[in-house]
Amino acid sequence: MAESEERRDVFKLSRDWLSVQEVVDTVSSASCGAISVFIGTTREDEVGGRKVIGLEYEAYEPMAQSEFRKLCDDIRERWPTVTHVCVHHRLGWVKVGEASVAMAISSPHRQDGQQAIQHCITQLKAQIPIWKKEVYDTQEASWKENAECWWAAHNKPPPDTQL
Amino acid sequence: MKGNVTTAAKCLQVLVLFFAKSAELTGLKQEEAVAVPTPISSRDLWTLLLRRHPRLSVLQDQVVLAVRQQYIAIGDQVVTLGDGDEVAVVPPLSGG
Repeated sequence: MAESEERRDVFKLSRDWLSVQEVVDTVSSASCGAISVFIGTTREDEVGGRKVIGLEYEAYEPMAQSEFRKLCDDIRERWPTVTHVCVHHRLGWVKVGEASVAMAISSPHRQDGQQAIQHCITQLKAQIPIWKKEVYDTQEASWKENAECWWAAHNKPPPDTQL
Repeated sequence: MKGNVTTAAKCLQVLVLFFAKSAELTGLKQEEAVAVPTPISSRDLWTLLLRRHPRLSVLQDQVVLAVRQQYIAIGDQVVTLGDGDEVAVVPPLSGG
């Protein structure tokens, strides 16, 4: 990172559609030769004869911010060359085809950024207090559970009870 | 009666937050001034919430709590609560 450059860790929850350009611009830096990007989009899934028409997201907002800060500290410990991190996540109704999450990480060279972005989405799914409900064309709905979340059904708890 | 003195647990009030499925089960996004003893194990805290909202039992073994925005698994771990602390019921996460 350039000496005068302060690290940016930006987490934004938004009820509006996400701008990938804004996420990319947030992490851009003259010291970085790589910007790694991940976009999660809402899939038109079919579950038991019912089609997903959209997702409804909610979050424990202040805790999502504090967990994001912990995640950024973790990323920077593993990949010290990571320069800036930006994650935007939707809240409320997200139609099929729209982006639910957009994230970008800048780094001087691509290796660290590419690995960091993979870790970022995995850990977001494991640790950040956000929930989504699938809504079907039958008007039924069901709360989803990430496999990455250790207290989801079918997952065993860790031996240590403190996270 | 024995002569020894034991420290009595304090009783204070916390704000309980409900998210996702737990909000649907209780019909509430939050509940103010919930009386709880401190210190308390996370298991006893969960039991206390279950007594107030029996429908939360649907989440048994698939839930953690968050006290002052720190995750706590349901178990023997003892937490010290402060008056006005936030206690959140946290169903399995599904961000991203």
